[in-house]
Amino acid sequence: MTYEVAHGPAKTPRRARGVLARLADVSETRFWAYYLLLPSLVVILAVVLYPTLWGIGLSFREMRLNRLDLGTGFVGLKHYRAMIEDPVFWLALRNTVVWTVGAAVGELALGLAAALLLNRELPGFRAASVLILLPWFLPNVVAGHMWALMLDPRLGVINDMLVRVGVLNVYKAWFADPDTALASALVVEVWHGFPFFALLLLAGLKAIPNDLYEAAAIDGAGAVKQFRYVTWPQLRTIVVAAVVLRVISLVNSPDIILILTGGGPGRSTLLLSLHAFLKVNKEFNFGYGSAIAVVLFVLLMGFSYLYVRLSNVMRD
Amino acid sequence: MKIDRRTVLGGLAAAPLAGLAPGRAFAQKAGINYWHHFTSTTEFKGLERVIALFNQKYPDIAVTQENIPNPEYMSKMTAAVVANARPDTCMVVAERASDLVAMGGLVDLTDRIKKWPRYGEYPDQAWAGATVNGKIYGIPAFTFVDWMYYRKDWFAEKGIAPPKTYQEFLEAAIKVSDPSKNRYGLSLRGGAGGFKYVLDLIEAWGSPIVRDGKNAMDKKKATEAVDFYAGILTKHKAAPPSAPNDSYRQIMEAFKTGQTAMVWHHTGSLTEIQAALKPDQFGTLPMPAGPAAHIARLTYLFNGVSNPAKTDADMQWISFWAEPEPAIAFLEETGYFPSSPKVAADERITKNPLYTAAVETTKFGRLPPTFVGVAGWSETVVLPEFQKVLVGRATAEQAVDAMMAGLDAALK
Repeated sequence: MTYEVAHGPAKTPRRARGVLARLADVSETRFWAYYLLLPSLVVILAVVLYPTLWGIGLSFREMRLNRLDLGTGFVGLKHYRAMIEDPVFWLALRNTVVWTVGAAVGELALGLAAALLLNRELPGFRAASVLILLPWFLPNVVAGHMWALMLDPRLGVINDMLVRVGVLNVYKAWFADPDTALASALVVEVWHGFPFFALLLLAGLKAIPNDLYEAAAIDGAGAVKQFRYVTWPQLRTIVVAAVVLRVISLVNSPDIILILTGGGPGRSTLLLSLHAFLKVNKEFNFGYGSAIAVVLFVLLMGFSYLYVRLSNVMRD
Repeated sequence: MKIDRRTVLGGLAAAPLAGLAPGRAFAQKAGINYWHHFTSTTEFKGLERVIALFNQKYPDIAVTQENIPNPEYMSKMTAAVVANARPDTCMVVAERASDLVAMGGLVDLTDRIKKWPRYGEYPDQAWAGATVNGKIYGIPAFTFVDWMYYRKDWFAEKGIAPPKTYQEFLEAAIKVSDPSKNRYGLSLRGGAGGFKYVLDLIEAWGSPIVRDGKNAMDKKKATEAVDFYAGILTKHKAAPPSAPNDSYRQIMEAFKTGQTAMVWHHTGSLTEIQAALKPDQFGTLPMPAGPAAHIARLTYLFNGVSNPAKTDADMQWISFWAEPEPAIAFLEETGYFPSSPKVAADERITKNPLYTAAVETTKFGRLPPTFVGVAGWSETVVLPEFQKVLVGRATAEQAVDAMMAGLDAALK
């Protein structure tokens, strides 16, 4: 008290202590955890929920940036009806399914093989496990351009090699033929994406206790049975999580296809994400583009839910 | 000097203000930024020379240039307009003007431009590319004049005269083609950007595209044109098999590496071709004439103002491109034609035989089709439908039906 009198009215320290005391009181209540979560909640609302809801709302409105005369009013299900009647949408949906399933299965298979190989404690494998990640480090744009050059029908090294070993008679224009364009792009995507699976599965393999293999070996299980009854069940949770993440990424990212084929020839490699991109960036039709994005969103939500349910990982 | 707490605090408070002092001095120099889609080394050299000349003339205006790759240019401009983060000035290709104006991405400069002393030096056509609904949105900076390159040496070997019509062109393409030797007549652009020549041929066969804001395509003539053009690959095998996916880089490499005898492009690629081939190996020709019209495009690239905040400095920058010194400097670096006929009459152009085809083309060339939605329709309908014909997944008639339906939808 002497201190306060000597220095005049000291309201700030008292107020500060009051605030601290109130905070201390609040921290004792059951709402304290929610107050702590509030800043994160605000950020999530601002950067995740608001744009998502706004994007969904946009799909029910007219918004063509180069046709402002049409206004930006509510048009109900107009874009969704147009989508159902649009043969390009169905073609792109079919391509998206082929692309996603092909790439996810290919990447998982190659990633698993790589992880099993790298899990052996052999000299040089530690360095190899880093090198194998290189494709994943490459940005999609760089990987796309690199492969476009390697598969080039005039200068491509892959064509050259295939001709030299007798697989081809002449250089092939892989991306100019609708029968090979999507498959060729899938090869590029699998090469680019398999390290993602390899990395996660290798981590999973390292976490499997050796005792399980020893017990299985005592019971007479060979390598195949050890994989079937020990390795695969132990990896299942990781596989499910990795597949869900990868499928979301594959469905949403059209960049490699955009670089390699632009969706052609004749829309034979057009994906839904690319279709939405072209609608927005070439036709400036934000309403229709958003409707395609909403459909993708719903399809991905449905897939993730069903996949996790069917794989029974949550039950474990 | 006694340094007490008050002095230290005062000094700390003054430091940020002192730090602002040079900034204030700098701020007196107006700063404007310029978005463009130049990509090649020669283009950058040309731009640097123009900026250097501008700095000499206007030392109080600092220009910052920003490169945006051409395929992403409209996406970035769209995002900038939506986010109200527009560049001060920007490069605009004539066929993008309608879309940019429609989204509010360009400032109306009609009054200023009409008072500009060089306004009268340009033909109406040059202004038409920068005009939307009677308002002028920029000043032409340079022109891409469509023409074709051909292998003079191959033509001489086969005794073929340079073609003047599409029929002669086709005959020449067939004669020089020899797929067994990986040699073809035309670098056919069926990939990105390939829609341009589809529209050119449709007009050359006598079908308009849009008239008075309505679909004016003549199905029969358009079908004949598409059939002829795709037939170069599908019937005559006079284009490389990679044509359905070939864009600029591929068609140029095919010509430069001796895979093809002819390539359609514009004056902008001359320096690249000159660097790859000897003068006696190649020549330039006007685009062939069609049965109904002689179509070659004069694509004026103009500079416009997107952000209305600094219009005086912006005007000085965009009008500077029209002056003889920067226009010739840019031509020397890039080969890009000056947009002003007065500057294009310079003897460095008229006395160069390679430019004869371009000078001739400026007499009959016309603007590309411009209407709201042309970019979207061209890229998402015309090109994929044409590709389908190239890969045998559709007939020319089916492709034209789809193009017409797409055009109706785009104009609706």
